[in-house]
Amino acid sequence: MNLTSLGLAELRSLIHKKEVKAEEVIQAHLKRIDDREKDISAFLTVCGEQALARAREIDRKKDPGKLAGLPIAIKDNIVTGQIRTTCASKILGNYVPPYSATAVTKLEAEGAIVIGKTNLDEFGMGSSTEKSAFFLTKNPWDTSRVPGGSSGGSAAAVASGEAVAGLGSDTGGSVRQPAAFCGVVGLKPTYGRVSRYGLVAYASSLDQIGPLARSVEDCALLTQVIAGGDPLDSTSASEPVPDYARALDRDLTSARAAFLGDKAMEGIDPEVKQAYVRGLHALSDLGIELVERDFPAWKYALACYYIIAPSEASSNLARYDGVRYGARDPGQGSLKEMYLNTRTAGFGEEVKRRILLGTFALSSGYYDAYYAKATQTRQFICRELAQAFREVDFIITPTTPEPAFKIGAKEDPITMYLSDVFTVTANLAGIPALSLPIGLSQTGLPLGLQVMGNHFREADIFQLAFLLEKKVQFENNKIN
Amino acid sequence: MKPPIDINYVCALARLELSAEERTILAPQMVKIIEWVGQLSNLRLNDPGSEVFCPLPLPLPFREDETRGSLSVEEALANSPEKNCGFIKVPRVIEEK
Repeated sequence: MNLTSLGLAELRSLIHKKEVKAEEVIQAHLKRIDDREKDISAFLTVCGEQALARAREIDRKKDPGKLAGLPIAIKDNIVTGQIRTTCASKILGNYVPPYSATAVTKLEAEGAIVIGKTNLDEFGMGSSTEKSAFFLTKNPWDTSRVPGGSSGGSAAAVASGEAVAGLGSDTGGSVRQPAAFCGVVGLKPTYGRVSRYGLVAYASSLDQIGPLARSVEDCALLTQVIAGGDPLDSTSASEPVPDYARALDRDLTSARAAFLGDKAMEGIDPEVKQAYVRGLHALSDLGIELVERDFPAWKYALACYYIIAPSEASSNLARYDGVRYGARDPGQGSLKEMYLNTRTAGFGEEVKRRILLGTFALSSGYYDAYYAKATQTRQFICRELAQAFREVDFIITPTTPEPAFKIGAKEDPITMYLSDVFTVTANLAGIPALSLPIGLSQTGLPLGLQVMGNHFREADIFQLAFLLEKKVQFENNKIN
Repeated sequence: MKPPIDINYVCALARLELSAEERTILAPQMVKIIEWVGQLSNLRLNDPGSEVFCPLPLPLPFREDETRGSLSVEEALANSPEKNCGFIKVPRVIEEK
């Protein structure tokens, strides 16, 4: 039995029935990591010994939890107590957190095992995982291409069988876009649905931790565990968490979904368009009523996002000054020189670009024209979406405007930022959105479909995605 | 056209320094990005909304104002670049004349 090709639900069942030991599961995944990492480079840290020790502990327990013995890859901007957490930045290169993120604590309380920490664009700022300070990650479907980003390490690890599932973070599409590029399922939950405690802040009003898995059911099981209010995050929601797995089997025939017309699809890769149309036909076959709808405010979403996210980043990343933790410039200069030299040496080019952009947008004389205007635009986008959700249950879009692109193909920042065109809206509005693989391009690259729903409607999204998944049967496509 | 951004001033505010090579690349990119995001000025809004926006669709919960456990001094200092006698050590703040 190949344990690394099984999904979370299947492995869970085998471990619960004692047909397989957690230790065997971890050993199989560590072997897989050994075999695949030279080609993929998904992990910044592999927790081999720790993971095996934990697996043995779980094998001895009577009631080891819902996710007992399952190896989970954690994006390296989610803190893990006593395990190095770098954010793929030189400035946190040796940082070992004294505590774990609430999402990680919840996973571990249910017996899940952190198998390693995965690569990302530095501090989550990027769409390709090329902007890591350490090395780039490659797409398991075609190693000449990027895995997407910024959660490219987690997506690549899950797609290549190095972990059964993973956690990423999504500020403008950073779970969904790599999920689409790597042929896995990824969810950005409602803002507040999952605690952000221990997620290293990039843009606090947009950031959410989200799961990546090889099926909708696995994604739902993981969300079930990590969701819920948290006294350690004042922006987390104490709304009850529904039983997502049970919701998968509900009837959904009376649902309505909005889709984008031709105008919104201008400039989109033809194969993405074709996959989108196939996805819509599949939904129609499932009995979903489809309604074409324009979203005129969306054309401002990217510009709005690229003011708000860098503004928040410039404030959040002010903490990296070489004083309390992280790298410090070893020079003997003044305090101000230490700040300057530490930050200048510690941050990479994209992080500097976004800090500068945000500093500018918040600076005296420009605040009203940029930050205040973006905040107003964000509310305009939210009002448009709120109106749409009075008429439909879902909004369906492609996840990305193109399949995974070649490594090094997008040197111009604006061209890279356009990768987020379909995903940023959900972050601006705080609504949940899921990407699931819908097919392959002619060159064998996965293509993703995005299902957006209203606040806290994750159960409905999982349900629709589950039906669609059964219809399109993407799992029959295998990585060469 | 005069670029809308004084890169030296913004770098000083952000406590960053750019090398000559970085400046050559970043300065024109910044101008281009600022022009691109400036498209928002074309949007005329009847309802400007509030200046502060929270994406959580619920009222923010308050908690009781009570003390809780926190990191020990040793844990808090474990990642400090330089420490001395239970304190973080930094360069002299008040410079000698």
